[in-house]
Amino acid sequence: MAEGEGSPGHKAERMDYFLQQMINGLTLGGVYALVALGYTMVYGIIQLINFAHGEIFAAGGYMGVIFLSFLTANGFMEAHPGLGIGLSLILSMGYCAMLAMAVEKVAYKPLRQSSRLSVLLSALGMSIFLQNGLMLTQGVYDKAYPTEFTHGGFDLGAIRISYMQIGILAVTALLLVALNALVFRTRMGKAMRATAQDKVMSALVGISSNKVISLTFAIGACLAAAAGIMVGLYYGSVRYDMGFVPGIKAFAAAVLGGIGNITGAMIGGLVIGMVEIMAAAYLPMGGQYKDVFAFVILIGVLYFMPTGIMGENVDDTRV
Amino acid sequence: MKGFTRIVVLTLALCLAMGAAVQAATLKIGSQSPLTGSYAADGNDIANGTRAAIDAIQKEGGIPGFEKIELFAEDDACDPRQAVAAANKLLNEKVVGVVGSYCSSSTIPASEVLDEGKILMLTPASTSEKVTERGLPYMFRVCGRDDDQSVAAMKFMTDFLKAKTVFIVDDKTTYSQGLADNVEKLAKEKGIKVIEHDHVNQGDKDFSAVLTKVKNAKPDVFYMSLQNSSSGALMLIQAKRMGIDAAIIGQDAVYHPQLMEIAKDAAEGVYLTFGFIDEETPAYKKFLAAYEKYGKPGAYSAYAYDSAYSLLSAIKAAGSTDPDKIKAEIMKIDTLGASKHIKFMENGDSGSNYIIRVVKDGQFKNFWDPQTGKKY
Amino acid sequence: MTRGSRVWLLFAMAMAWLFLLLWPLLGIGPDGSLTFGEAFAVWWKIALAALACFVIHRLSRAGVFEPLTRPLFRLTQGVSRVYGASPKWMFLVPLLAFALTYPFFTDRYAQDVAVNVLVYVCLGLGLNVVVGLCGLLDLGYIAFYGVGAYTYALLSVHYGLSFWLCLPVCAALAAVAGCIIGYPTLRMRGDYLAIVTLGFGEIVRIVINNWMSLTNGPNGILGIAPPSIVVPAMKDGGLALETVVMRQLSAMYYIILALAVFTVVAVRRLNFSRIGRAWEAIREDETAAELMGVNTFRFKLLAYAMGAVFGGLAGAFFAARMKFVSPESFTFIESAMVLAMVVLGGLGSIPGVILGALALVALPEVFRQFELYRMLVFGGVMALMMLVRPAGLWPAARMGKRSDDEG
Repeated sequence: MAEGEGSPGHKAERMDYFLQQMINGLTLGGVYALVALGYTMVYGIIQLINFAHGEIFAAGGYMGVIFLSFLTANGFMEAHPGLGIGLSLILSMGYCAMLAMAVEKVAYKPLRQSSRLSVLLSALGMSIFLQNGLMLTQGVYDKAYPTEFTHGGFDLGAIRISYMQIGILAVTALLLVALNALVFRTRMGKAMRATAQDKVMSALVGISSNKVISLTFAIGACLAAAAGIMVGLYYGSVRYDMGFVPGIKAFAAAVLGGIGNITGAMIGGLVIGMVEIMAAAYLPMGGQYKDVFAFVILIGVLYFMPTGIMGENVDDTRV
Repeated sequence: MKGFTRIVVLTLALCLAMGAAVQAATLKIGSQSPLTGSYAADGNDIANGTRAAIDAIQKEGGIPGFEKIELFAEDDACDPRQAVAAANKLLNEKVVGVVGSYCSSSTIPASEVLDEGKILMLTPASTSEKVTERGLPYMFRVCGRDDDQSVAAMKFMTDFLKAKTVFIVDDKTTYSQGLADNVEKLAKEKGIKVIEHDHVNQGDKDFSAVLTKVKNAKPDVFYMSLQNSSSGALMLIQAKRMGIDAAIIGQDAVYHPQLMEIAKDAAEGVYLTFGFIDEETPAYKKFLAAYEKYGKPGAYSAYAYDSAYSLLSAIKAAGSTDPDKIKAEIMKIDTLGASKHIKFMENGDSGSNYIIRVVKDGQFKNFWDPQTGKKY
Repeated sequence: MTRGSRVWLLFAMAMAWLFLLLWPLLGIGPDGSLTFGEAFAVWWKIALAALACFVIHRLSRAGVFEPLTRPLFRLTQGVSRVYGASPKWMFLVPLLAFALTYPFFTDRYAQDVAVNVLVYVCLGLGLNVVVGLCGLLDLGYIAFYGVGAYTYALLSVHYGLSFWLCLPVCAALAAVAGCIIGYPTLRMRGDYLAIVTLGFGEIVRIVINNWMSLTNGPNGILGIAPPSIVVPAMKDGGLALETVVMRQLSAMYYIILALAVFTVVAVRRLNFSRIGRAWEAIREDETAAELMGVNTFRFKLLAYAMGAVFGGLAGAFFAARMKFVSPESFTFIESAMVLAMVVLGGLGSIPGVILGALALVALPEVFRQFELYRMLVFGGVMALMMLVRPAGLWPAARMGKRSDDEG
């Protein structure tokens, strides 16, 4: 530590500090994992870095606060808080799915035969467009989440676990299990995997690649929306530019785990979240250079191990 | 044909002259603040405070020689580049004076540009010492200075809280770090142990790592030096969630209703240093009445109001738009403004008057006066 | 359902979908109310504009506008033929004359805008070298701008070195930064390259923002000296050399004009040289280029370095002009803006990039009332350009012929 002595001295304290940071890291990692899944699935299927995905995450956060504020004002939240959150979650997932599918149809589909550069630039343009759309319709100020019960927590020894942290971990785990079931145990999932593996052949055996692509965007958006709401509940507010940096970090997580690889994205997200928190906790200047670690990992992985931890999963039949 | 041409020319000349006369009858002043971006809340407060002052002066009969007063409100988004561009625009409009900016990092470059055009600049919110230490003749400050603000905070810690240890966190901006460094220095002088002085980045959302350190250090006081209320609110929520029970002291940048809107119960009991605004004075009530149509006043509305009002009344007293004459009148000002007692020193500062306020029941309330050492 | 009416159905569905997306953002009040008015007000304006575009598109498809477009087309053909046939100096000389005399008939504000435009012209041309000529999608280009600016800032504040002396130093350091940033990306795919350069751009900004002892962090560096020139003057009865500090805006304008002209000439020479051809080969098909003997490694590094040089020069000027630098000027949005200029103007095209800079810097000044919508329009335009006119407003002139070109 540079100035003063902030690091805990005794071994028990050190352990508590470590565990506390672990929990912080897992929570953050869960959020990154959810967003990374959207990136990885889209890249696996059409080899596009969907820059707009970060804004879908932000839109999810906004939808959450819009629905929750509405329900709170109507007294619904007081009566049924759990149902209120659940309803907001579903509605905002639906909204983001619609938004993502619209973006795909308008900005990506017409460019499927164009060069990679064109569609990448289109994605970048859409990202800026969506972010500013949010700003213009929702205002430049932070928008506060109307919930207060998310501030509480309980003590486990010297470690403090907040209810929201449990909530985030639970919801993340649930969604990941659901996704796994969808992708690996249903026919639709099989169609998605087939299209990701070889688009042309899948089309030849009768799988509509358009439908599969739309579905992929929709599912990715649902996950991002959930992440957005949870971030809003956890931190207490959302802002129109909240999607940019987490978006890049989530993409780094997707690459780390192996692009196109769903399990890889989950693991990558957790790793990036942990690294960020642990670096801030233990390195002397770590807190300030927090964001840099994700980028450094991204660059390092792409340079030394481009296929990621779990190996990538893209359609490599297209040159 | 010749006669006709002459008439046309004369008419045109008359129109031009009238146009110029109408132009001359408009007093142009400017405001510069972040109308977009993270600081938009305070930036809009500054623009609105200026407008309220214009309304007030016009209600009192306006300024003789000018039919109307026009405000050019420019946006600098707390970005120095945009600040210079905005200043250039105001320079081009040949405004007589500018109220602004908010971020010290914007005020400083903008003032250099405005100085070239001998345009007066009154800042209602930039508290960095550097603003008035560059020897610019037309630079004035209506808010307090950071070296005074940190002294007030330190007095609170020693005299009221009787603190022995403090943990300082700032976001490295001129303003926040300036305050934090001052507090650290003063703490060492007064014998308070500075457990650690850590930094976060502007725009960060997740403070769990640094707050875990704070929790583990168990300080008496947690000095939270951040540049805006939204970051402040986020930090408070996470601090409360983590169970940090140290006394939390913030400063004037987090003084905004947004803090309570976002942090809700997590903001209860948080102290902050803020320039004392006596809301019982007739000047404040006048300001409140003038500001009513713009909404609820924020932290800097009153300061901006006072800046603009001082400028306009100086122009009125000087009876001209000559910058030196106006400056002479400004130096003569010695009144009770809406925000504080307005009297400018040689370098443009107007003194500081910091007190400790506390968040209680979702409202800011005056708590402790460092001058007298008494609670309110 | 006929083909024609199906298209109308799709259009109607698209408009309905738009409304469904727009309404929750505008219509669900935090006070518990559900209003449709505001959403509808925004929606019908967009729908009307979309309808107009759609109708025009269908009509032009049906050939209704033929009598109008055909003579117009012939006119533009004629103009471009004349342009192609006449010697370049016929257009360049009046343009140069206009540029040189610009400060004499414009006010301070217009000069300020012109200086901004020229700075972005330099940046755009530099990025053009990397993206347009060599095909490397660099999303972190603004890092070189920052390196140049901070280099001059530090040299000026700590060592008092003159602007002119620092220019080559800034260029050299920026080139080194270009090599450092470019090196890891050399073996990466196009999309990964984009995100990695974005990451680098952000890393540079975060480092500048945090390295307090070197860069003073978010507070920036104050007190940078503007350029000064040494002129002979009559002093004390004899000829002596006097240092004149160039503070006026018009002086700044001429300096950046000189830098911009230098950049234009340099990029043009690079483009029509062996280096430029190697870059074009790499852009079109890297594997084939490698097979034909082009050392892709070296040329890609060279592209980064050369692009960075122009960015660094522009950065040094920026620092000298503002007399103040801070990390807030070097964010990703700036990189995106420069990229938008290059894309809008035409990848690889020099007049296109100049046009793009004019459009994206000067036009928003004209539409200052719509300041809030500026970035929205940027984003939309970028996506739209890719959809309708990926070659840009003034596409690059091709060198030689390609088998799939007509004529």
